[in-house]
Amino acid sequence: MSSDIVIGMAGSGGDGIVSAGESLMTALAHEGYYALMTKSFGPQIRGGESSCRLRIATERVLNPGGMLDLAIALNWDDFLKFKGELQISNDTVVIWDSATGITADQLPVPGIKPAVAMAVPLTELTRSSAGTDKAKNSLVLGLISGWLGVAREAILAGLHKRFAKKGEAILASNERAFTAGLTYATEHPISNDRKLAPAIIGPAGTRKLLTDGNDMTAAAAIFAGCEFFGGYPITPSTEIMQFLGREIWKYGGSVLQAEDEIAGLGAAVGASFAGKKAMSASSGPGVALKTEMLGLASIAELPLVLVNVQRGGPSTGLPTKAEQGDLFQACFSAHGDVLRPVLAPTCVADSFDVTVEAFNIAETYQTPVLVLSDQEIAQRKETVDPIDTKRYEITNRKAPSADELQSGYLRFRLNDSGVSPISHPGMLGGGYLAAGIEHNEHGDPAASGGWHIKMNDKRFRKLDPLKSRTDLLRSYGDPKAKVALVAWGSNAGVCQEAVRMAQAKGLSVKLLVPLLLYPIAENVFARFFENVSAGLVVEQSHQGQFYRILRMYLDLPRGVVAMCRSGAAPFQPGEVLARLEEHARTLSVS
Amino acid sequence: MDTQLPVLQPKDFKSDLKPIWCPGCGDYGVVQALYRALSAIGRPPHEIAFISGIGCSSRIPGYTTAYGFNTVHGRSLPIAQGIKLANPDLLVLCAGGDGDGFSIGGGHLPHAIRRNIDITYIVMDNQVYGLTKGQLSPTAAKGRKTVTSVYGSIERPINPLLQVLSYGAGFVAQSTPADMPGLSAIIEEAIRFPGFAFVNVQSPCVTYGEEHQQMKAQKATMKSLSKLGHDPSDFLKALEWATHYGQELHTGVFYRTPTPGPTYEAQIAERKAALSKNALPRERILELFQTR
Amino acid sequence: MAIQGIDIDNLSLKDALDLATLIEEEARDRYEELAEQMQVHHTPGAEAFFRKMVRIEDKHRVELEKRRHELFGSAARRVNRSMIFDIEAPDYDLVRQGMTAREAFAAAMSSEVKAHDFFVAALPRVKNPEVKALFEELRDEEIEHKQWVQAEIDRLPPAPSTPEDDVSDEPVAH
Repeated sequence: MSSDIVIGMAGSGGDGIVSAGESLMTALAHEGYYALMTKSFGPQIRGGESSCRLRIATERVLNPGGMLDLAIALNWDDFLKFKGELQISNDTVVIWDSATGITADQLPVPGIKPAVAMAVPLTELTRSSAGTDKAKNSLVLGLISGWLGVAREAILAGLHKRFAKKGEAILASNERAFTAGLTYATEHPISNDRKLAPAIIGPAGTRKLLTDGNDMTAAAAIFAGCEFFGGYPITPSTEIMQFLGREIWKYGGSVLQAEDEIAGLGAAVGASFAGKKAMSASSGPGVALKTEMLGLASIAELPLVLVNVQRGGPSTGLPTKAEQGDLFQACFSAHGDVLRPVLAPTCVADSFDVTVEAFNIAETYQTPVLVLSDQEIAQRKETVDPIDTKRYEITNRKAPSADELQSGYLRFRLNDSGVSPISHPGMLGGGYLAAGIEHNEHGDPAASGGWHIKMNDKRFRKLDPLKSRTDLLRSYGDPKAKVALVAWGSNAGVCQEAVRMAQAKGLSVKLLVPLLLYPIAENVFARFFENVSAGLVVEQSHQGQFYRILRMYLDLPRGVVAMCRSGAAPFQPGEVLARLEEHARTLSVS
Repeated sequence: MDTQLPVLQPKDFKSDLKPIWCPGCGDYGVVQALYRALSAIGRPPHEIAFISGIGCSSRIPGYTTAYGFNTVHGRSLPIAQGIKLANPDLLVLCAGGDGDGFSIGGGHLPHAIRRNIDITYIVMDNQVYGLTKGQLSPTAAKGRKTVTSVYGSIERPINPLLQVLSYGAGFVAQSTPADMPGLSAIIEEAIRFPGFAFVNVQSPCVTYGEEHQQMKAQKATMKSLSKLGHDPSDFLKALEWATHYGQELHTGVFYRTPTPGPTYEAQIAERKAALSKNALPRERILELFQTR
Repeated sequence: MAIQGIDIDNLSLKDALDLATLIEEEARDRYEELAEQMQVHHTPGAEAFFRKMVRIEDKHRVELEKRRHELFGSAARRVNRSMIFDIEAPDYDLVRQGMTAREAFAAAMSSEVKAHDFFVAALPRVKNPEVKALFEELRDEEIEHKQWVQAEIDRLPPAPSTPEDDVSDEPVAH
């Protein structure tokens, strides 16, 4: 029995291998399992090779995992295009279509002798059972269900749901293919340790959620009260606009697909000026275009949320792969001396928390807030425990009081907090000029040095409380450990697992995961590093951008270094732990 | 002449901010004409959002008592559209110069027009960059000598009237502060037009403009389209008059569609009404992700 | 004619007095505005002259308003500022940064001429004899004003030989 299994499958787009993965994930979630699925595609717009990897476990899955436990190749040419994502080891059970003509001793995985290597007549079985080639993915589902010993009823129910609309004949042929797969698996068992341990069933009535980071972000925006989205299509962020384009109207809001990236954020700035919660989303190249507009929102003190779903860069770079290369851009790509809060989710569930928090911070402090997601979190599907929305507080911008509006309202009134109540068009007595030019308290242009110093001070001062938001940093492991990890974004889950592995080996390790990346919570980091002698800041970028920002703000212990590499291959927990152990050994720290 | 005294006088739209425009600038007349048009419309200043880009003319919102937003170069239209979509009850005005609207912001104009959001866009077209000290603008005549076209410009000018007509704008007009009553009336008509309305104002630059572009010259040469017998519902004729841009100064309404279509925001309102009926409450949005 | 929505032919005395008052008010406000422009652009000579014109135009306005009040009390006005344009108010393009007092006077002169011409053009159309008498009076007053402005111009020292533009700083880029 196993409580944690990684399955990798690849075929051509027409085989429907990704939809098989999705069906399996849905069925497993219904049975109480957790899963995390990533997809990868060839460059063709349609009909190219496609793959998915699915990590299934009885507990929450923290990252996509490493080597495959079960590999299914509908054909080897397609499978091998995803060598990076779908790695086969000596422990892998390898299944492929015997129609490929490849025999067990011809497997194109040099140097590796898989635990099980079994050619299955996938095409033939599909044809004989379903009467068509089109149900190959249902047959594969039957095989997996049989070998893992799970989800038979749930998968059948899923097939019903999926094919009901397409007619009785198609449904029936898929059911027959599924049953043929099940039968084949029963007749050709693989070792018992590939069976999934029973799921830990949650309290009755709790229904798990199944979604990806982009959809979760969009849903969070609606929950937070977002009423306007302006954007432009760009991979891998577009699903945020698409989700809102389906849903936001129901809540009185609107989505504008703008003529360009600049106009998308511009319209959001306008909506915020008009008093509504507003948002845009993009990826690195689009964010570059939006930068001037962010400056405007900063100086006009308008609440705004901008999501950057990072991909590899610069320029078009790796448009469908994750990298953490836009952190410098998020924090520093500003004209003028300005501070913008930057938040980063670490997983799909976090995309909800972080997005709601981004709106709250934007509204509270009247500032643009950047959310740094990445392609992996954004497009991977995860099983998420139910989220109790009652636990979340929603903050709205502070409006001027009736008294203020009657007696000389000052839009940018200087006060201790730096946050001055904000009016919007339609509010009698609240009229003012918002502007990109520096202003006095009333909002009138005042491009003299004096007002600039006062207003810049106000704009920085109001964000000071963020640096004490300890709730926006998470720590794991032994607080007294001398050996430490720091990770943000999708690497957090990798490092959490590395910490678990270390603990299992009896090693004392700790981990700090900031959700708020900027401004740097200097005190929290200083305390965390106090006893640390050896540490790694783990990042998917060539420069180790967060590590360098930390060094700007803190005197890091000499033994804290960056562990970084460019996208797109994600770090593996074992890899991180091995490097950490080696690093500690070099420094003679234990 | 039993006219009701308007509740709001032109001066009610004038702010305390003192314009920084050069004395003699056409924009003084434009803002004055706007005060009059707004008083005739009668919406109180706090229900008006007035958006501009960057340039001399883009200072204009600050000289009114409306909610103003003096944004960044070329981006007034996207921001104005966001405002109108966020709160369709507002009267939304947009203004800027020829560089702002037809050069750096030129990509936004066709889209604002194709959406038909109810915004009045006033361009103060003076064929020169004044704020940055006299560089070549996209509407400057070929051969125009400026500090950035020392030997005379090589490129042809943009014809904004022809552009917006071909983009499908439902209301296209031109005027000048040399004709204050005409300018004021046109701005008023543009605001009343249900949909995107474009007003090109030949507002001379007293500092970098040429003699023949000044108001004195305009007064002598401008021709009223209505006096020329132009029927503003005649689209093809409007195109023909528009080709005279740059050679002759025609004032008045070039085109006013006889059949204004629904605005973008009106169509959105319908969509919202239809879709909101069966919506989950915001706090239950996550139920969309529940399995099964 | 720079009015709209006013039926000159059938103008009543009350409306004519209100119209005349508004003409003076418009002129006053314009001079005020031009004085501000001169102030912002550091042209004190012209500013001082325009401020003087503010006082003069306001005096005329007050006189007309008084007459109106004596004859018609506070009966509702039927004409308003939106109906008139630039009748006695100097045109915006007559002013320049650094303009001399002489140029400022010339601007005032042209507006007095404009106002005079307005009444001259209106007179043949006016039917009401009381209104006719009022407009003739106002026309003649404008002639007096023109003469006053001319006399003031004549009293000025001769124009300087160096135009202001040659000595002032370049415009500033923003």
